[in-house]
Amino acid sequence: MRISTDCVGCGQCVVCCPSEAISVCGRAVIGDDCTQCGVCIPYCPLGAIREDET
Amino acid sequence: MKALVVGGGLGGLLTAARLVKEGHRVEIFERLPVIGGRFINLDYKGYQLTTGALHMIPHGSKGPLATMLRQLDADVKIIDSSPLSVLRIPENGGFKDISFYDFSSPLSWVNRLKLFYLTFKSRFVKPADGSFKDWFYPFINDTWLVKLADAFCGWSLSMRSEDVAAAEMLAIINNMRRYGGPGVPAGGCSAVINALEKIILSGGGPIHTGCQVDRILIVDGRAVGVEADGNTILGDVVISDIGHRETVQLYDHPASDTFREYMVAMESIRPSAGIKICLGADRPLIGHSGVLFTPYARRINGINEVTNIDPSLAPPGKHLVMSHQALQSDDILAEIELGLKDLEDIFENEQYEVLMVQTYSDSWPVNRAESGSNLDNTTPIIGLYIVGDGAKGKGGIEVEGVALGVDNTLKLLNI
Repeated sequence: MRISTDCVGCGQCVVCCPSEAISVCGRAVIGDDCTQCGVCIPYCPLGAIREDET
Repeated sequence: MKALVVGGGLGGLLTAARLVKEGHRVEIFERLPVIGGRFINLDYKGYQLTTGALHMIPHGSKGPLATMLRQLDADVKIIDSSPLSVLRIPENGGFKDISFYDFSSPLSWVNRLKLFYLTFKSRFVKPADGSFKDWFYPFINDTWLVKLADAFCGWSLSMRSEDVAAAEMLAIINNMRRYGGPGVPAGGCSAVINALEKIILSGGGPIHTGCQVDRILIVDGRAVGVEADGNTILGDVVISDIGHRETVQLYDHPASDTFREYMVAMESIRPSAGIKICLGADRPLIGHSGVLFTPYARRINGINEVTNIDPSLAPPGKHLVMSHQALQSDDILAEIELGLKDLEDIFENEQYEVLMVQTYSDSWPVNRAESGSNLDNTTPIIGLYIVGDGAKGKGGIEVEGVALGVDNTLKLLNI
């Protein structure tokens, strides 16, 4: 998962992440614990979380 | 009548609940997997953080939102804060707290007299165009009053006193006199949303989540339906809870002068931005349920500790403390740093954990339209109305403004 510049840092994704892989301070940051499950994607009010381009 | 509601935030849900109670049909479309927008709980480490609001209803059990919830028989209890609020000011290297009602006590007696005169006069003479600071500062040249005004405007509107229109601020002060101070819904923000959801579903709903409206259908200048997830749904009115700017992107623009004027008016809408810092503590940091205003802090405008009203908003024995600061520059990390330093000073010698720092700006702001920059609830399209924090009623702080806007919209619909 990656976070686009549209992210404002509201923290909604932090709470829904089952792996506790996201932290927020001004903007969300996805850490190494991310399992690419994609649960966070629909929770972002700005659509700022996208799947990694392969 | 059938109303199609675009966006299931507080404004959309309030409108839908009111319509359902009057026997009308509603259908709600929410893009996210959950309803409630920036007014729901976020369960984090057993603390009930929020998607936006600080679990407070600005005018408590007597304000416009509480009144509307009562009229709806909504199953939610709003408990008023006591004391209303407290001002923390520096003294002898430490701090002392004074009651909000004594806010003028640090002023000289001459300035107190001037303030009395100015306030008295405002009841009869409309303020000139200009900011709230422009209204008092040339007359009462006192930095305490500026700091106090900035703390109040920052906490309640996420604005500075030099950015709020004087007329809007005086309307807010009048509403404070009329309705009183803040309260907390038992169970937090989500208690309000859950109660509204129950009313809407009992009237047949439906509420679609994870369902984005891609288009609002207009025929002969009238809103007749929406397109959502590839389906066309027809209705008699469309209520949009996503703000004027976002709504206008969903339909074909008519070539009329009225519409061009509307687009120009929309340029005056500014979103308000702010930072919320959530703390967890083993013992109370504030010790009461009112707002702690911090006029002398560098950035923090105010702090609350809602667990003094509802302990269930934190794990057993813990306290949830939330601060708010209006965003004062584009350097968000520097602003957060200043906020955190303020909290270290304010709660010196206290132990706490920073649970989360949440920022709201741009397209997910504190308010889609900062107070005083709201357009009304109508649009140039017949049957298309705007509710929510992008079209608040005059003098309405945050969710109170949302309730006033919803009330106004229902009047426009003759309901």
